[in-house]
Amino acid sequence: MEQLKTYTICVFTENSIGLLNKITIIFTRRRLNIESLTVSETERKGVSRFTIVIKHEQREAVEKLVRQIRKVVEVLSVFGYLNEDIVYNDIALFKIPTPLDSKPLDMETINREHKAYIVYWGLDYVVLQKTGTEEEIFDFFKYIKPYGILEFVRSGRVAVARTPKGLVEYLPDEVEWEYYL
Amino acid sequence: MATATKSIGKEVSNSSNGKVYSGGQALMECLIAEGVDTIFGYPGGAIMPVYDALYDYMDRIEHILVRHEQGASHAAEGYARSSGRVGVCMATSGPGATNLITGIADAIIDCTPMVAITGQVASALLGTDAFQETDVIGITAPVCKWNYQITSADEIPEIMAKAFYIARAGKPGPVLVDITKDAQVAFMTKKFEYKKVDWLPGYHPRIKPKMEQVEKAAELINSAKKPYILVGHGVLISEAMEEFKALVEKADIPVASTLLGLSALSIEHPNYMGWLGMHGMYAPNVMTDECDVLIAIGMRFDDRVTGDANRFAKQARIVHIEVDPAEIDKIKKAEAPVIGDAKEALQMLLPLIEKRDFTDWKQQFRDLEPAEKEAVNNRDLAGEGKIKMAEVVKMVSDKTNGEACVVVDVGQHQMVTARYYDFKKPHSYIASGGLGTMGFAIPAAFGAKMGAPDRDVIAFIGDGCFQMTIQELGTIAQSGKAVKMIILNNSFLGMVRQWQQLFFDRRYSFVDLQNPDFITIAKGFGIPGHTCEARENLSESIDQLLSSEGSYLLEVIVEKEENVFPMVPAGTSVSEIRLK
Repeated sequence: MEQLKTYTICVFTENSIGLLNKITIIFTRRRLNIESLTVSETERKGVSRFTIVIKHEQREAVEKLVRQIRKVVEVLSVFGYLNEDIVYNDIALFKIPTPLDSKPLDMETINREHKAYIVYWGLDYVVLQKTGTEEEIFDFFKYIKPYGILEFVRSGRVAVARTPKGLVEYLPDEVEWEYYL
Repeated sequence: MATATKSIGKEVSNSSNGKVYSGGQALMECLIAEGVDTIFGYPGGAIMPVYDALYDYMDRIEHILVRHEQGASHAAEGYARSSGRVGVCMATSGPGATNLITGIADAIIDCTPMVAITGQVASALLGTDAFQETDVIGITAPVCKWNYQITSADEIPEIMAKAFYIARAGKPGPVLVDITKDAQVAFMTKKFEYKKVDWLPGYHPRIKPKMEQVEKAAELINSAKKPYILVGHGVLISEAMEEFKALVEKADIPVASTLLGLSALSIEHPNYMGWLGMHGMYAPNVMTDECDVLIAIGMRFDDRVTGDANRFAKQARIVHIEVDPAEIDKIKKAEAPVIGDAKEALQMLLPLIEKRDFTDWKQQFRDLEPAEKEAVNNRDLAGEGKIKMAEVVKMVSDKTNGEACVVVDVGQHQMVTARYYDFKKPHSYIASGGLGTMGFAIPAAFGAKMGAPDRDVIAFIGDGCFQMTIQELGTIAQSGKAVKMIILNNSFLGMVRQWQQLFFDRRYSFVDLQNPDFITIAKGFGIPGHTCEARENLSESIDQLLSSEGSYLLEVIVEKEENVFPMVPAGTSVSEIRLK
């Protein structure tokens, strides 16, 4: 057994009903837990991009998984990456109480050290947005915790490959794609 | 779907000449355009508009009314396996659809091309728990190569074209198309045009392998001192029997088949050594530990073939010819993978292969045969005590000259048939291999007869299996087609009993059956038959079965506690093969 590593799997698919299920059942059947999952449309119309993060001890098992995902008919292409192969981020929102008598937030530290910003001022609360890796978000979580956290939510990972080419360039070229760009 | 549609469709093979079709009629036109001549189905509420359309197409499409939808999906499998064409089955929503699922799951694991059509409640009722509504797309997603729900009549031609392409392309498999009732009733708003599909952006399997992969495989094969070929179902699916035989003869390599690869090479061929696997033959199994290059063609190293995969052929360098890239390195690492269709791959490989002579190496296989003959065959065929399954199969094999299309159910009789029937023609062993579906044989044998009407179809069925789809005797009788059925009756769930005897300390837990009078039941359905209990009547009984004009049921009472050997116990290595 190798050591537990984080893998980011980018799946390009046609945008059709039920596809999320067809992809996730491949993980379910192999008892693989999905750490995070993000789906949105790409720069090409009708093509969706799934970013799925899993942890696994064996690279070989992840490669087999990738080949199984490729078998789904609506899947156009699949790429598997280790963290060093990609630029990636999550986004997190923190709702922090700011009643009149509370300790004021140290915006200098929040902005400069943690690169987090206030995106909404409520009457006696603020919403802070922090973008970064899981570790950076967790560091900020620890920092802000003493102020009290009313609500916290973190998105799944989004990632782009560290290659000079766009991943959509690898999609089958027999199709005349329409671009948003 | 917007991205997918642009480039598909190369030629227009049918058009409506200005006629406006309903969804149901459009579906029929699609089936005709795909060359479908037979549908196995069962009507019901949500598929009624399609059945109404079918009423006008009865002259062009033969619909077989099964007695249970599971029978429809297995019959479609049998049809596909004997004919090589896509099997089509049809059912209504809810229970009709769920009853199809066993056959669909069977088809995906045995790579059988199938299109299943199900009715669905009207699209406005989806998700309301309407009468006979079930999420068939959700339920079948894990067992389908592809599935899709049609909610508008206009979608029908495009989706059906995709369905048939996906079902048969690359590694074949089942596709389910669920059609809401409103889409069946509604008239198309555009001209009906059927464009066959031969490419999809997300599905375009590699048929012609890469030359460098073929060259590497050839190099490895040419360098071998003890090469050994394992031939699987893929060679039969891609109709590569001639190419395969040419390769075997040029390179003079010994061949063993997998269970579903049976009949890819005639049993009479001098290089054919038998079949391997849990109950396969002795030499083919143990020689996997001796070869230096293992050439796997159209097979997937199933655990019933390898036993403990880590210990299977671990000394061998592996060439793996396979159309599905996900199978490469899945179980056994291949040094020279060749991704492509077996027929194309073998055609490309043949000129690169050197002519060799492996007489001595082949002899090593033959040297092991007496041990098996003595321990197993001689005992099975001794002709003492109660009739043994092996005697029945052997006699049928001799009397049919090894040329029948044999359909089997699952269990001891399935293994015994594989061992003792001398397959001389391809596509002659139709079995549920991967899923091991009891109840497969009656409907699949009927489907096989529909797919290959000129062949004699003989089904060997266990007494347990027979009762799982016994209702399909009605389908067979109504069709008037001749299906010859043999029950090898030991009044036990024999294979489970064998395992309980060998691995569970003879604790026979729920394996003995109080059986009905099968012959009376068959007669009730209108199928003649008789029971044979004595060895001296066996030959005459089989003659009666074979010479009957229509369908016939022969029940043979066989030894109750017979075991199938050789046996590689589950999870062990082939070196631990037991001969008794």
